[in-house]
Amino acid sequence: MRKEDTVKLISAEGFEFVIDRKAALVSNTLKNMLTSSGSFTETELGEVKFPEISTPILEKVCQYFYWSLQFASGKETEFHIEPEITLELMMAANYLHT
Amino acid sequence: MPSYKSPSPSRITAMFIRVKRKKTTYFLHCDPSETALEIKQKIQALSDNPVDCQRLILLSSQLVLEDSKSLADQKVENDAIVALCLKTSDTGVWEDICIDRLSDYATLIDSD
Repeated sequence: MRKEDTVKLISAEGFEFVIDRKAALVSNTLKNMLTSSGSFTETELGEVKFPEISTPILEKVCQYFYWSLQFASGKETEFHIEPEITLELMMAANYLHT
Repeated sequence: MPSYKSPSPSRITAMFIRVKRKKTTYFLHCDPSETALEIKQKIQALSDNPVDCQRLILLSSQLVLEDSKSLADQKVENDAIVALCLKTSDTGVWEDICIDRLSDYATLIDSD
C-alpha cells in the first residue's frame, strides 16, 4: 500500500487515523470530498479534519468502514457499539452519510 | 460473459489491525498468514520509519512480535491493537510504548 492510497482523518482533539482510501469511500461525504475535482483541498492532501467529531467516535467510524468492507465481502460478524457512544456515533454517521 | 471479475473475499479484507503510536493510528488491511516483517514494510511505506527501527507489540498480551512469524501464530486477531515503538538512531535505544490517550488532553483542557 502506498501513501497515496491512504487518507488521514483528524479528530477534534487532533488525533490522526490513517486509513485505506477504499475504506474511506464507504462514507458518501468522504467520497464526495476525495473524488470531486478541484474545489476541496482535501482531495490533494488526502487529509480531512473533523473539528466536530471526537477521537473515540472517529475511531469507531473507521472501525466501521473496515468492518463494512469485510461484511461486503461475505464475512458475517457483528459490529459492536458501546451504548454510551450510540448517540454521538449516530450523529457522526448522519454527517458522513454512512 | 462479462470479463469483469468481482472482487472475491480477498486477502486484503481478511482482517485489519490498528497500529498506534502517540496520536496516530494506522488502520492496516492484512492477512493472518502475513508476517510481522510484512506489516513493518507496510508501516515503512506509510510513515517513512525504516523496518529496522520498528518494534511491534501486541497490546493485549504485551508480546513483542517476531519478524519471521505470522500474525496468526502470534495471536494477532482482527481489529487487534498493536503498539509501534521506534528506535532512536543515535542511541539505539527502543522507546517505551507511547500511545496518547484522550483523557491526557481532557485533563490539560480542564486545568486551563
